[in-house]
Amino acid sequence: MVEIVLGTALAAVGAGVAVGFAGLGSGLGQGMAASGAVGAVAEDGDMFSRGIIFSALCETQAIYGFLIAILLLVFSGLLGGGSKGLSTAVGIVAIGAGAAVGFAGLGSGMGQGIVAGASVGAIVENDEMFSRGIIFSALCETQAIYGFLIAILLMVFGGILG
Amino acid sequence: MADQIAALISQLALSNETILVLVILALVIVGAVVVVVTSRPILDIFPYLNPIAKVRARKGRLLSDKQIVELADTNSVEDVTNYLRGLDDYLPYLNEYSLEKSLDVQMADTYKYIATIAPEEIKKPFEIISTKTDIANIKALLTAKAVGFTNERTSELLIPSGSLYDTLDKLVDASSVTDVVAGLDGTEYSDVLKDAIPQYEESNSLLPFSNALDKFYLHSLLHSTEVPGNENTEKMYAYIGAQVDIANIKLIIRAKVDGLDYDVVSPYLINEGYQLREWKLKELMESQDVSGVISSLDGTKYSDILSNALTKYNETGSVSVFENALDSYFAEYSHSLSLEKPLGVGPIIGFLSGKEKEIKNLKIISRAKREAGFPNDKLQEMLV
Repeated sequence: MVEIVLGTALAAVGAGVAVGFAGLGSGLGQGMAASGAVGAVAEDGDMFSRGIIFSALCETQAIYGFLIAILLLVFSGLLGGGSKGLSTAVGIVAIGAGAAVGFAGLGSGMGQGIVAGASVGAIVENDEMFSRGIIFSALCETQAIYGFLIAILLMVFGGILG
Repeated sequence: MADQIAALISQLALSNETILVLVILALVIVGAVVVVVTSRPILDIFPYLNPIAKVRARKGRLLSDKQIVELADTNSVEDVTNYLRGLDDYLPYLNEYSLEKSLDVQMADTYKYIATIAPEEIKKPFEIISTKTDIANIKALLTAKAVGFTNERTSELLIPSGSLYDTLDKLVDASSVTDVVAGLDGTEYSDVLKDAIPQYEESNSLLPFSNALDKFYLHSLLHSTEVPGNENTEKMYAYIGAQVDIANIKLIIRAKVDGLDYDVVSPYLINEGYQLREWKLKELMESQDVSGVISSLDGTKYSDILSNALTKYNETGSVSVFENALDSYFAEYSHSLSLEKPLGVGPIIGFLSGKEKEIKNLKIISRAKREAGFPNDKLQEMLV
């Protein structure tokens, strides 16, 4: 069995938090958007493509979390085999990075799911609501982007990346 | 900061495994708190998202005011039928039934559909609303038997929908009103209909049956949302409560016009009321005349609506002026409720009231077009 130092283990926890919470938010959001989309498609088959777009919007938070998790795993040496053994301090920074993208993704995903679900309902009633629905749904993306940026910055200036 | 935390950890002299367990534990606790707090609103919204999309799709297909005006401007009932044949929602019904029956069947199917898709917490009221079809069928059957229609014509009157349709269809062969009531033994309407038999025999009028059925329906409806537990059930309660109050006011106004006493009307009032409780209903009934009823309603939301209609009532002497004013108010009130909870019961209420308004207007247009030379301006006035 490979010996893992505490810092690296903490980075692994950070990776788990990143993908876990971001995925949770994204999943809940996508569930809500898809639930609305299924209702819309049941009434109007033409809504399928638009329903897919709104459901897919909520995927982004999980992608941010997944990216940060992969970066953490690679640069902590857990993936790729080149274990450099992170210090405990850097491991804590990794948890911060994971928490930043994870919790931001959780809130953003749930918020986006609510708006996307409502937008699907609005579009099926009035076709002209599509672009406005996309704009309102995209607004909720910003929190996830903040979390993602801060996670990257933490990794860069915390000595994990670069 | 991170270095300070790392130094603190090393000062504690904990093993790596212990530190990891503590970190994971802390994250699990924080995560659980965050998930519980943030998921609460999601849990309220989630059951509504699918039904909302479905009803909003149908709401988008409701006839616009412009289309209703176009229909009112047509020359004959055939024109109305042909116009509606161009709409996917009406075509299958018109292929099978006459115009009036198509409207009834579509409304019955709408009630049934809403009761099917409504989330659990508001399902019961919508199930009771769907019994309107059964009640309409019972009333039609009783009327047919009282008037002495042929079996064929009686069958025509029944809406082929509702949980009691098969039972009622078999009762088409019944020879009298009391036989119909006896045939409904074992159904939820049996007791109220039996209780109304003495009054029916005394007055030889079907009004006691009709009033008893209406009271039973509204009473069941009001009690289906007795304890509003959240915003959705509160809105539902307000929606139902307004119907109960309006039904009580309509009954009281009619009673005043007919010069009836409180004791005569009281059995048909929903005494629990919503905003108009028993004492208020009694006060209204003790008013001298219709104007007195409206004065007694001062301070309630119904006062202005009825006051505005009073002048027209004085000119025409028709109680329908008040009834139309109350119906229009209810349509507006339902619309306002539908906007208050857009990710909850709102769109469902909005669609249902919109559909009821559409069917009502189409029935008005259909009847007007059957009467040769019915003035168009009068028809426009009658529309909700």
